[in-house]
Amino acid sequence: MEYILHLFILICFYTLLSQSLNLSAGFTGLISLAHAGFYGIGAYTTAILSTQFGFSFWLSIPLAMLISGAIAFIVSLIALRTVEDYFIICTLGIQVILFSIMNNWMDLTRGPLGIPGIPSISLFGFNLDSKISFLLLSLFFVAIIWFVLRNISKSGLGKTLTAISEDEIYSQSIGKNVYLSKTVSFTLSAMFAAIPGTLYAHYISYIDPTSFTLTESIFVLSIVIIGGLGNLTGSFLAAAFLVLLPEALRFVGMPDSIAANMRQIIYGLILVVVMMTGKNGVKEFFASKTKRVA
Amino acid sequence: MQILINILIASSIFLLIANSYSLIYFTTKFFHIAHAAVISFGAYFVFFFANKFSIPFSVSVALAIATATLIGLACEVLVYSQMRKRNVPALAYLIASIGLYVVLQNCISLFFGDDTKIINTAEVTVGNQIFGAYITTIQIITVFVSIALFIAVNLFLHYTATGKSIRAVATNPELCNIYGISSNKIILIAFGIGSALAATAGILSAMDTNMTPTFGFNLLLYGVVAMIIGGVGSTRGLIAGALLVATAQHLAAYYIDTKWMDAVTYIILILFLIWKPLGFSGKRLKKVEV
Repeated sequence: MEYILHLFILICFYTLLSQSLNLSAGFTGLISLAHAGFYGIGAYTTAILSTQFGFSFWLSIPLAMLISGAIAFIVSLIALRTVEDYFIICTLGIQVILFSIMNNWMDLTRGPLGIPGIPSISLFGFNLDSKISFLLLSLFFVAIIWFVLRNISKSGLGKTLTAISEDEIYSQSIGKNVYLSKTVSFTLSAMFAAIPGTLYAHYISYIDPTSFTLTESIFVLSIVIIGGLGNLTGSFLAAAFLVLLPEALRFVGMPDSIAANMRQIIYGLILVVVMMTGKNGVKEFFASKTKRVA
Repeated sequence: MQILINILIASSIFLLIANSYSLIYFTTKFFHIAHAAVISFGAYFVFFFANKFSIPFSVSVALAIATATLIGLACEVLVYSQMRKRNVPALAYLIASIGLYVVLQNCISLFFGDDTKIINTAEVTVGNQIFGAYITTIQIITVFVSIALFIAVNLFLHYTATGKSIRAVATNPELCNIYGISSNKIILIAFGIGSALAATAGILSAMDTNMTPTFGFNLLLYGVVAMIIGGVGSTRGLIAGALLVATAQHLAAYYIDTKWMDAVTYIILILFLIWKPLGFSGKRLKKVEV
């Protein structure tokens, strides 16, 4: 039972991550490979603040979002000068730089040793150290972010972002500030990514840089793409699918060592197949299939 | 002196990879990330043939290059050419190639394990001393092979009919089709040569140090950085790019710490993307779409 709750909590984390990436990748078309970096910034901010300065979770969450947003803003000033393929390569570079800062800046992050002893979250004097209470807290955040993102997508900003992803020059010609909207979208997306980061740090109570690698970024991007760009429900379903996939593989009797690789092979293959057909997400892929048959 | 030798060795590996990669990028205009897996596959197949089946070393190198090339070709035939038929947006290629890379890299992990492997060569490598600096035999081979292949590829591109067709397809695939050059066939040739070069680079690099399933990815990214810095399709630019990346890395290792080598490489890349997006050569990588 504890283990199932753990899986649900992981699903919450990846839902938060993929939905926040969906804001920049899905709505705006800024496909970023630096998302795990911002996730890591969130985790490291709260880890350092809570272990060294005794900040509570509720205080470090806005601070983590601010720091992640500030770094994302600086990054976006640089990265948004490039387009399409080059933007992805640029964010890939930024991901590697962020990772190497986490891994090498010994004084601040303790490098590969990681930061242990991050306290659990307390709410009105209650310690949320049982799995079920943490799950409820994560669900609370998922609900808020989902609601916020849905409203953003329906707002004027969201419409502008969609317009940019469809035709950048046209949106500019009707007087939309493309550069500003892109910056806002990228920064907001990184700020939301800090939230699962702080939750993760307090949940596991120990963080090290290996949780925030390029592989993790690729994994989150795969969730977004498999779920469909701009489709928040899709991100949630894809996150649930990919988190539960290794368990399903284990269930059919595959040893642990193989199951981890098999999961990556499976999501890689889904990515290739979805992209090959030029469809947006698995949902559309199957929809078109049935249509063609009928 | 030692640092100069090290820069020379590193830049020749980067040059070989940048060369193999630019051939593909030049003709197809998208980032073929799965190329990294081809680099790793080359090295792992040598390990597989030479250590598991004890096939003579030179034969297993040839076999490994051939097999890795087949994998590169398979990517093109099974995935990319299908995508071209469907006319998918440009970004989809990059994402599909990331997916392909994930699949291929995990296949390596599944079959060979994630631990560090060393290709056992029969002869014991003794460091040779040149001008007071040490260089192993394999490193000398690396430098010569990569320079020789670089010259060969450039001669091929400029003086043979196939090479000229590759450059023609790179400039305008549709016009080539009209003139009776099959762009698909030419792209396939570019993938073949590029993958063979990449496998060679992977083998040389793995013999020099060691290998893990992901080592190709780092190597590829250094090559890509060298290519972007140099400017695509420019011969001198590639050399300059490879030299700059290798120099920056080794200076960073020497003056700061080896652990910051990666970060320095990418900072250079990002600086170039901002201030000189066309690379040293100044050739346009991407036409402005209107």
